[in-house]
Amino acid sequence: MTTLIADTIRERVQRIETTPSIPAVFLPLLELLGAPPEDVKLEEVLKLVSYDNTIAAQCLRVASSPLFGLPKSPESIKGAVITLGLRRVETILLTCCLGNAFPAKNWPLEPTVFWRHSLGCAMVCRKFSEKIGANDHDKAYTAGLLHDIGLLVNCIAFSTEFSLAVKHALQEQIPFDEAERVTMGFTHCETGRLLAEKWHLAPDMIRVIAHHHAPELSETAQPLVALVHLSDLLCRMRGMGYGYYESRKVDLAYNSAWSILKKQYSGLEGVDLARFTFELDEDVAKIFELVATIFGAAAGRG
Amino acid sequence: MTTGTQSALATAAIKAPIDPVFRQIRDLIYKVSGIYQLDEKLYLLSDGCGRRIKQLNLKSPREYWDLLTAHASREAELRQLLNEITIGETCLFRSQPQLDALHKIILPELVIEKTKQITKRLRIWSAGCSTGEESYTLAMNMMEQSEKLLKGWTVEILATDLNDRSVEAAKAGIYGDYALRATTDYFKRKYFVTVDEKRLQVKPEVKKLINFSRLNLQDDSKMLFMKGMDIVFCCNVLIYFDGPSKSKVINHFFSNLNFGGYFFLGTSESLMKLNDQFHLVHFPGAIGYWKPSLKSGKL
Repeated sequence: MTTLIADTIRERVQRIETTPSIPAVFLPLLELLGAPPEDVKLEEVLKLVSYDNTIAAQCLRVASSPLFGLPKSPESIKGAVITLGLRRVETILLTCCLGNAFPAKNWPLEPTVFWRHSLGCAMVCRKFSEKIGANDHDKAYTAGLLHDIGLLVNCIAFSTEFSLAVKHALQEQIPFDEAERVTMGFTHCETGRLLAEKWHLAPDMIRVIAHHHAPELSETAQPLVALVHLSDLLCRMRGMGYGYYESRKVDLAYNSAWSILKKQYSGLEGVDLARFTFELDEDVAKIFELVATIFGAAAGRG
Repeated sequence: MTTGTQSALATAAIKAPIDPVFRQIRDLIYKVSGIYQLDEKLYLLSDGCGRRIKQLNLKSPREYWDLLTAHASREAELRQLLNEITIGETCLFRSQPQLDALHKIILPELVIEKTKQITKRLRIWSAGCSTGEESYTLAMNMMEQSEKLLKGWTVEILATDLNDRSVEAAKAGIYGDYALRATTDYFKRKYFVTVDEKRLQVKPEVKKLINFSRLNLQDDSKMLFMKGMDIVFCCNVLIYFDGPSKSKVINHFFSNLNFGGYFFLGTSESLMKLNDQFHLVHFPGAIGYWKPSLKSGKL
């Protein structure tokens, strides 16, 4: 990438920060999620949420989805925390905030499709994390939710250039990052990283956003980046991609991300990938439904 | 009773919570056969079990579970249940994602891989072809490519089944509405002739592509002669084999495939890690098993 392009990207990403629609609770919530679980108090989260009734209401609707398997819908954030746990409620709040943070005005990408992929990847990351016996499933969820934040940056700050990339990807049936590289000279990994740094996201999240297409290049947090890489691929192969046919064969177990993950988690060896794939299929309809009810308004704006 | 009430009752029935024992039965079926019933299809499983419960005069799903797990009866009863849940699944064009993977990803890859060879020939095997639905679907899809990707190529389709009557029915190639429910008008017009009001028959030029014969997949001496395959389809057949026979048959498929070849099972069927030589590969909406090409260095 030339210095000129790098400067342009930096300059345009700077402007995003001033977007008025970012809910006030969004960045403080991200900060809470970055902190060690034992340092986060219920009161802090409740206080944050009390500033924004819309977010609280959305959070309760999300928590009522069959995806979370609660026998009874929670009636308050406190009730949701009691049944789902504080960290999980934080991740749900973050999901709602993200939907409101980026108004879908003339995106080159279909917003519903974007949210399906982000939420789908978040859910798959959580399940994968549970399957291999990793230690922080909520962190995996957040990483999945945020991994493609650079695509939002591209939609907002590089609308014209990104439109060409999307068109190219659809025409050639190739992944977005390849199409971006050919048409724009940079990818959502770079633009996402700049926004993540600007927002002071946790270092591991920045690595995920920057390297989820090539986990081996990540200086740290390689297992988390690898987990997101594999979950992202699985989503794209099982109907939660970007709404077009990616003409490719994916050999997950012979992927460098798989080797990275295997070194860290011996549980991966025992995973029956076919069955895991079928199990994920069960969530697709639920995720579509959730996106339609929760993100419908945000996604349909503009 | 009004239609409205009926439909409300039907909805209530669909949304009624599934007895947890059906999830246990689902897991048992997967462990034994590799067939995975999605949550949304558990009602089909409960229907299938319901029919068996009635036939056997049992009182509850829990009693049926006991029968499925009791040493003396489990094998025979599981076979009966598998018949119940896979019955009526077969139709032409059953899995579009598999067919898309075939002509958008696999054929272009195989054409490049094999182009250096003197004979431009592709061999496809429909193992356990039943009454021919899958074999004809493959043949029609190959014919669609004959002026494009496969111009100048010879395609051979071998279709085998254990059952003589199935093979005879397959050779006749006559299908009714149910078997043709996923076949588009385009394919019906191009590749079929009308038999009567309710049935269509596959045209002779499609049949010419396929060699139907009887074969027992457990007959080792015959399996040794099925070499040189590029793609093998074997949908909902291995589910009836016990563990050791299944492993043996899968090993035969592996050695009968050319390097770089592909093996497909039914859409919700898995090899359950019974073979570690095949690579499980994902295509959009479909899973396949790949025998790596020599040059890929991934054997």
